[in-house]
Amino acid sequence: MYPAPIEAYFAPRTIDGALQCRAEAGDDAMFIAGGMSLMQAMKARLATPRALIDLNEVEELSGLAKGPRGVTVRPLTRYRELAVTTALHGALQAIGDAASTVGDRQVRNAGTIGGSLCWNYVASCMPNVCLCLDATLVLASLERGERGVPINEFLIGPLETARRDDELLVEINFPASKVYGVGSAYRKYGGTVDGLPIVGIAALIEVDETGLCTDARFSVGGILPTARRFDGVGDALLGRSGTPAAFVEAASAAADAIETQTDHLASAHYRKVLIRTLGRDVLAEAHARATGG
Amino acid sequence: MEKTITVTVNGTAYTRTVPLRLLLVDFIRDECGLTGTHIGCTYEGRCGACTVQIEGRAHKSCMKLAVQADGKEITTIEGLGSRDNLHRLQQAFSRYHALQCGFCTSGILMNAVDFLNENINPSEAEVRRALVGNLCRCTGYSHIVEAILAASATRHGLKPVPPPAETEPPP
Repeated sequence: MYPAPIEAYFAPRTIDGALQCRAEAGDDAMFIAGGMSLMQAMKARLATPRALIDLNEVEELSGLAKGPRGVTVRPLTRYRELAVTTALHGALQAIGDAASTVGDRQVRNAGTIGGSLCWNYVASCMPNVCLCLDATLVLASLERGERGVPINEFLIGPLETARRDDELLVEINFPASKVYGVGSAYRKYGGTVDGLPIVGIAALIEVDETGLCTDARFSVGGILPTARRFDGVGDALLGRSGTPAAFVEAASAAADAIETQTDHLASAHYRKVLIRTLGRDVLAEAHARATGG
Repeated sequence: MEKTITVTVNGTAYTRTVPLRLLLVDFIRDECGLTGTHIGCTYEGRCGACTVQIEGRAHKSCMKLAVQADGKEITTIEGLGSRDNLHRLQQAFSRYHALQCGFCTSGILMNAVDFLNENINPSEAEVRRALVGNLCRCTGYSHIVEAILAASATRHGLKPVPPPAETEPPP
């Protein structure tokens, strides 16, 4: 199909300019970033914005910065850039894993991490990965200034987030890692190569100098209502060295605990099988990165 | 509802007043008259036949509004090579029989040229993965993959694996 008529189009060059445009355009205006979800929704007439505020010319919304308090990923950073950067290796490598397997080349050239987070499609990779990596999102509005929202409070349900219509996502912040070794990983399984997954798993593992696990995080995407953390993996891993048996035990605990749904893609049981098997592999990968192995 | 934009396509500036909802692929086809960029899936963003390069990067032109290309440089299949001066990849596609009906070919070429600029010496697996966004209903992709690998090899002065031998049709 074709997009419904659009009454106004803005292409601001700054964050302030974008917020001003939003105020001028009023309700029924939408921000558009890479457009990989919104354009599809507009063509299907699921979204019929009266006005569009195009963020693609806002340079200050793009890029990565490393500081003492952690890593800031700007929301307009494209999948392609996230897939090739070495700045995220180690603790944030799950972002690169996910970005390099989103959609196809053309999608990765256009799609953005911030767009994916704000759209929060149930099977998409970035909400899941950012949940695992404890992101804090900074939302800006003209009237209320900036506020920080932890990712677990940001992701509410299918296509639903804590972002208000007049707010713009301006930063995605990841905490600095203080420990000896830390690694993260992401993998997904779906019906087509690089397509939207039935299940996606992100994991992060921290180890101390002796190789014992000091933190373990695990999150699952592709389940309703939105990506979910399972902190119970710590029971099998904390204070222990990573062994294949421990990864199986942790992933099995996650599969048992997490409620899954049956839909046209897969049964609830199959999703649990995927959580168990993919989960085991992702934990092993994150651990290998944490220990440099 | 309308905006006047200037888009440079294959080095020529096109200034047109277009509806805001006009998709870039229709701007290229209907306003610029460059019909080598195809629509294979009624704007669903699935088939990749409308792939063009915007500022040198492969994009599906049904996934953008024409107004979003204002001030941008676009290359379409018409700007890649000419009948007398085919691009290296077009030569390889011809030599390796990498097309049958040809409908998907322009999109694949525009994607693959960007891919080979990014990955100068790809493996077969990398080539196959680079083609995920382009559907071909005729070839089964084998010859397309061989052609892209051959173009990569000739760029480095290497001798590519020869194309499959011509077989005579049964009498």
